[in-house]
Amino acid sequence: MSTDNLSTDNQTEAHPVGHRHRDMSQFVVVGVLVAVGLFAIISTWDVVAGFAKSDPLGPRAFPRFIGIGCLVLAAILAWRTLAGDVPEEDGGEDVDLTMRADWATVGKLVAIVLVNVALVSFLGWAITGALLFAGTTYVLGSRTPVRDLIIGAVLSVGSFYAFYVGLGVPIPPGILDGIL
Amino acid sequence: MDAWQGLMEGFATALTPMNLLFACIGVLLGTAVGVLPGIGPAMTVALLLPITYNVEPASAFIMFAGIYYGGMYGGSTTSILLNTPGESSSVITALEGNKMAKAGRAAQALATAAIGSFVAGSIGTALIVAFAPTIATAAVQLGAPSYFAIMMLALVAVTAVLGSSKLRGFISLFLGLAIGLVGADLLTGQNRMTLGVPLLSDGIDIVVVAVAIFAVGEALWVAAHLRRRPLEVIPVGRPWMGKEDWKRSWMPWLRGTAFGFPFGALPAGGAELPTFLSYVTEKKLTKHPEEFGKGAIEGVAGPEAANNASAAGTLVPMLSLGLPTNATAAIMLAAMAGYGIQPGPALFEENGDLVWALIASLFIGNALLLILNLPLAPVWARLLRTPRPYLYAGILFFASLGAYAVNLQWFDLLLLLVLGLLGLLMRRFGLPVLPMIIAVILGPRLEYQLRQALQLSSGDWSTLWSEPVAIIVYICMALIFIVPLVMKRVRGTGTGPDAAGSTAAESPDGR
Amino acid sequence: MSIVVAYMPSPEGEAALDAAIAEAKLRGLRVVVVNATKGDALVDTHYASAEGILSLDQRLADCGVEHEIVRPMGADLSDLVLEAAENAAAELLVVGLRRRTPVGKLVLGSVSQRLLLDATIPVLAIHAKAGGRHAS
Repeated sequence: MSTDNLSTDNQTEAHPVGHRHRDMSQFVVVGVLVAVGLFAIISTWDVVAGFAKSDPLGPRAFPRFIGIGCLVLAAILAWRTLAGDVPEEDGGEDVDLTMRADWATVGKLVAIVLVNVALVSFLGWAITGALLFAGTTYVLGSRTPVRDLIIGAVLSVGSFYAFYVGLGVPIPPGILDGIL
Repeated sequence: MDAWQGLMEGFATALTPMNLLFACIGVLLGTAVGVLPGIGPAMTVALLLPITYNVEPASAFIMFAGIYYGGMYGGSTTSILLNTPGESSSVITALEGNKMAKAGRAAQALATAAIGSFVAGSIGTALIVAFAPTIATAAVQLGAPSYFAIMMLALVAVTAVLGSSKLRGFISLFLGLAIGLVGADLLTGQNRMTLGVPLLSDGIDIVVVAVAIFAVGEALWVAAHLRRRPLEVIPVGRPWMGKEDWKRSWMPWLRGTAFGFPFGALPAGGAELPTFLSYVTEKKLTKHPEEFGKGAIEGVAGPEAANNASAAGTLVPMLSLGLPTNATAAIMLAAMAGYGIQPGPALFEENGDLVWALIASLFIGNALLLILNLPLAPVWARLLRTPRPYLYAGILFFASLGAYAVNLQWFDLLLLLVLGLLGLLMRRFGLPVLPMIIAVILGPRLEYQLRQALQLSSGDWSTLWSEPVAIIVYICMALIFIVPLVMKRVRGTGTGPDAAGSTAAESPDGR
Repeated sequence: MSIVVAYMPSPEGEAALDAAIAEAKLRGLRVVVVNATKGDALVDTHYASAEGILSLDQRLADCGVEHEIVRPMGADLSDLVLEAAENAAAELLVVGLRRRTPVGKLVLGSVSQRLLLDATIPVLAIHAKAGGRHAS
């Protein structure tokens, strides 16, 4: 609940006054780069270089190049971050960066998607799709769960048949086998 | 095949009732997603990739082409009525367009944008017909070294020219290359970066990557910023223009087209620079300089035409070389690969009927956009009232559906989430989306061309610059890095509209 | 003490505002105009524009009533209005009603209905006049 006067002084931490501020959260990106870089190098370490002499470069060179690239970029980003380089968040057309980021909502969405991942094989898309839709609308602020569940059910059952009849892709019916 | 004959056959394919229907669906859907916040043509084409399982290639590409042009059109509607440019290419249109709308001339602003888009799109498509087959014919002769160089140029240009931070562009690029590596190696069939998971041997499906980065990443990012003060939309009736407006618009349309097309055809020319150049030119040439900054129609007509001409130009490298230079083109190429069609210089020869149907449908889509959209403007404005919970729940739903339909495995849904979180991370830390998507698509082909070139030369690296085209391309690549440095020295401090130009360059269109 | 009116730029909102002004003159109270939004869409036609707020302010001043305009944003509109009423120590809440079929009410829900049920102070419910907004 914020009122007009609140939204103006609600500047996020990402847009600091002056350049002294360091955005240490960028080390998340550094971490991702290091992880991806090391993974690219290590996981292809024992790939057999090839049976033919006709492949001078072999299957290992490219992953190594990319891996080293990632590590170098990680180092540069770490250095730039410590020097006070601040990322420019993506404003997009539907995001107001002056509002504080609400990571709890993101966490809840991730949880709902994970539930879908866990249950889709057993319950089938027709059911988990409806739950996914209703759950995400609820987390995103809708307060009409019954209506959302009905819309979700229409969408998921509809997409089940659309894929089956229209595209020839048989989505597994899961627990509803024989009913759908 | 002769271009004219090919085009006529293309029209014959595109004008069947079924394909006309696909074209209509495409332009309507494209306009809708162009208007809607948070969704763009790239994401929409990505979400629609499952239709390639059963729909004929020609029909699918006719629809994708409609979405592509429709998205441009929808973006300009939003920027005029709301002053929030959806796509970065609409930033300049918003400058004068929104001022016009505020001054009660929304109908004229929308009309000049729509008709200008039609003019530019039609001329641009005609230029595709003129140039793309010729370039393709020339490019067929190129060997692996030249082709490797051209792909490198596309990657480097997209990364270094667009976007505000080269470092972040390259981070995006390398993460994309790494994603492209996952799976069996093309030449030896050995698994790389798969962690022994058999489902990863085929690589990460481009549907999953594209949908995750565009759709899931965006939905999560918006979820982190769910509430915001509503914007003021300017009420609009049916767009129309008076005689005076026509007189003031037609030259800017043509000049805008002349700016837009060549930039679009260049790798990473983008739409930001030509729209900006068109704006500056119109400001200089206008007989009504006092109106600029208060809603001058030339300032809408020119940039909007430039924007659409650039969109048409983008299709030249895509169709003639298999090089994507924007996100939507990248995903359309992925769709081609899904059909087993090899994008590249041979496309015109091997799949001529498909390419010509696609080009013909661009003409048709353009005309449809004009006919359908002039009366529909008030309907599009209503779309802006869609509540975010439904919009983004819908996006997540269809993203999950699309990813699940690839292999009907829960594993792809997990991948979707992981890559979606990567997409969120990229938005939070200002990493541009475009270099990653293009790297995922071009990376494997790049490696293949390089290894093939070295195979032919038995490991002699000098083969890479053994062809004249390759040398020219490497020089261009060097220029990409040198020119901005020189420009910086020469130019000194920027002026008024320059600031708008730099905002335009900050967000490469990825939505 | 004050009168709180749930306002939006629509016939029923204007009707509620007119009633609130009339009531405020009668009782010699100040008017608190609440124009709330969920803030969950790019455009909300029930949320007055900056220009609309200015002319609203002018109109209230012309009527000679002491007034205040608040524009809260949150997930639940009726909660926002009730909260504003509490903050303003309101003795009367004025809401405009839209004609809706029972089915429409079931599907879409109703902010005014929630207000009628949840308010702890007297509520004055006004229907929009058929002829639209009338001068005050």
